[in-house]
Amino acid sequence: MSLNYVIVRLLQILPTFFLIMIVCFVLVRLLPGDPTSALLGIKATDADVARANANLGLDQPIPVQFLYFIRNFFRGDLGDSIVLKVSVLSLIVQRLPVTLFLTALAGLFAVILAVPLAVLAALRRDSGVDTAIRTSFQVGLSMPVFYIGIVLLTFFAARLHWFPVGGFGATFGEDIYHLFLPAVTLALSLSAVLMRNLRNSIIEVLTAEYVDFARAKGLRSRLVLFRHVLRNALIPTVALFGLNIGTLLGGAVITETVFAIPGVGRLLIDSIYGRDYPVIQGLTLALALLVSLIFLITDMVQASLDPRIGRR
Amino acid sequence: MTRFLGLLSLVIALLGLSQTAEAVNRGGKMVYARYADSLFLDPVLNDANVDIWILTNLYDTLLQPTADGKGVNPGLATDYKVADDGLTFTLTMRKGIKFSDGSPITVDDVKWSLDRAKNPKEGIWNFILESVDTVETKGDDTVILHLKHPDPTLAAGLATFNTGIMPGKLVDAAPGATPDDKAKAFAEHPVGSGPFMFDSWQRGTQMVIKRNPYYWQMGEDGKPLPYLDEVDFPVIPDDATRILKLQAGEVDGAELIPYARVGELKNDPNLDMELYPSTKVTFLTMNVRPKMKDGSDNPLANVQVRQALNYAIDKAALIKIVTYDVGKPVISFMSSATPLVSGDGPAYPYDVAKAKDLLQKSGLQNIEVSCLALAGSADDTAILSTIQQMWAQVGVKLNIEQVDNATRTARYRAGDFQMRTSLWTDDIADPSEITSYFAYFPNIESLHGGWQDKTVDKLYEDGQKETDAAKRADMYKQIQKTYMDAAPIVFLYESPYPVALRKNVKGFVQIPLGNNIFSGAYIEK
Repeated sequence: MSLNYVIVRLLQILPTFFLIMIVCFVLVRLLPGDPTSALLGIKATDADVARANANLGLDQPIPVQFLYFIRNFFRGDLGDSIVLKVSVLSLIVQRLPVTLFLTALAGLFAVILAVPLAVLAALRRDSGVDTAIRTSFQVGLSMPVFYIGIVLLTFFAARLHWFPVGGFGATFGEDIYHLFLPAVTLALSLSAVLMRNLRNSIIEVLTAEYVDFARAKGLRSRLVLFRHVLRNALIPTVALFGLNIGTLLGGAVITETVFAIPGVGRLLIDSIYGRDYPVIQGLTLALALLVSLIFLITDMVQASLDPRIGRR
Repeated sequence: MTRFLGLLSLVIALLGLSQTAEAVNRGGKMVYARYADSLFLDPVLNDANVDIWILTNLYDTLLQPTADGKGVNPGLATDYKVADDGLTFTLTMRKGIKFSDGSPITVDDVKWSLDRAKNPKEGIWNFILESVDTVETKGDDTVILHLKHPDPTLAAGLATFNTGIMPGKLVDAAPGATPDDKAKAFAEHPVGSGPFMFDSWQRGTQMVIKRNPYYWQMGEDGKPLPYLDEVDFPVIPDDATRILKLQAGEVDGAELIPYARVGELKNDPNLDMELYPSTKVTFLTMNVRPKMKDGSDNPLANVQVRQALNYAIDKAALIKIVTYDVGKPVISFMSSATPLVSGDGPAYPYDVAKAKDLLQKSGLQNIEVSCLALAGSADDTAILSTIQQMWAQVGVKLNIEQVDNATRTARYRAGDFQMRTSLWTDDIADPSEITSYFAYFPNIESLHGGWQDKTVDKLYEDGQKETDAAKRADMYKQIQKTYMDAAPIVFLYESPYPVALRKNVKGFVQIPLGNNIFSGAYIEK
């Protein structure tokens, strides 16, 4: 994996970024309804709405609005939220780290849950253990996220008081405490997908010639497992993990609602309902950038596992 | 003997006094879980109930609504007098009142706040002070409002959130190029005149307000209100989570309990499931114009059709299914908690035969109608699917169109709908507001539905100037009768504010206007 490759990949993000900017800008304005109608509700008169639209510059033609947006973007100004009346940048800075923290924790839990159990299931293939593992993951995958969330909250938080009933903390330690249950909730469906994929991948690799060769060399089975089997089996799973980060971020919306966590998932949904154009645009761009970077990192991890990737 | 008895009664009286003094517990913090966060804490520029219902804790008004929401009490003003010709409204200010930063509330602050509140270019609530021409200050404690015409609604208007008194000099000194920018900057750290002062706000997560040490109103124990030191407002949008938090004891109160859970929480020994009388009415707005936006004929333009649709709904069953019997039938388009409400009993009692008869007389049988519903709203789904079945019995097919809030509002404003589910709560303790939106065509074309009755329009306009209470009540009686007969809406039900509190929370009230009043709240030991 050369530095060139990384730089080229980073530069490739830019045109995608610009395209997303245009599409997002036009798309939200094509939706029926507008921010002021949604905000002012049924009690505002038409004059009130017209005045509010003029104040926000929403009565200008769309290309003009876009030019203002681009100009402000290069000044580092993503505009102000129409609904919350604070700067979009401050909202992103405040809320995005929370969602990232939640998603990262969920990803970590998913891996911790999926990898050992996938190895176990693969090594004890078709045994009682394997069936038990696969069945319980299947059940977890079938339950909707909000249902899992409420069940965990009711049992572990409200009844046993092991965890707080939703909300967010003030310090780092408190944050982890508050995010434990939501992260588990989010992790369950992803871990099911990862587990199944990794198990199959390991089973396939176990039959490969180089594994037979390693065993024939007399290597201890644990060494064979980690250096040869797992390292190769993980490659497709890592790719799957990267692709599913988007799903994790999406699942965060529901989890954030159920657990009352101040992240961007909920903010994005509310902004779409409220037609809060500046927030939708700002968040979409931030998330697009994030997902692009995650794809890049995933590719880099894959390349470190398989040196054949990334070579020109 | 008498001296002994006198001493004994004195001792008993003193004991009694100290008993009542101990009844109220001062200090501590109350945590009240909200369904949604406030958006903008400015009395004039705010738009939504999520702001209004909290604002009166931060900004005091010249007069205050009574607990039943129908009258006014003294507030920052101790007294008001209306001149005989009704064109002058004189307020006497209370002595020694201060803002939460300790600075005195002056008549200049009152003038500043009222001038701002009545400015037609500011916010959507300026109609409340429409009759005020100029605001004059006299001396240190008198404010005189010169009116364009006599205004029977003014006292109620001065008890409404948008006339909250703000520190004019501080707002003008806030950073910003325009008055709106300054207001925005000021609203980040507002300084007000209410029982509580703003402390901190993490948007979407939690707002904290703390006791205003300079508040004027006295408690039962002879010391200034509020009893509580602090109120925290965590935002918990999910109903199930909000209730769980309450049951786990992590919060002291939770608003907007779904109807389906009211029965269960009533049986919880640790909770008080309160159903506060409200001005909230639920109904279906109808477009009564002869033609729809796409040019097709609109059967709802026919009054017999509208009456038939009303008769065809079994309101008792609907109330049971949708609100689990928490709601009750309406007698008018306004709630029973609105002043001057009148009606001849429940609106359009269930009568399938009459409905069929009216439809036949109208010549419009087996019609199809459509209704806009809020996507994702359990109440809307319940209401409309129930009504769909009830109307099928009289041969009317109801199509339900689920759209999101912004779409629904846009189509509503454009008159591009046949029916829509609707909710209303009063913001002012006077029937003029709801009437101006529902029945007075020049305002918003009667809920954008296009209904007009010139007699009603005139009655409304006259009612805005009629200071004789009996005459005004009679005008509103006529308006409501005409409206009921014309049935421009489908009357459904009114329902209370469902708030669940832990048993040790006392003195909290949500008044019919929706304001959450924490000034008298305390947590029992």
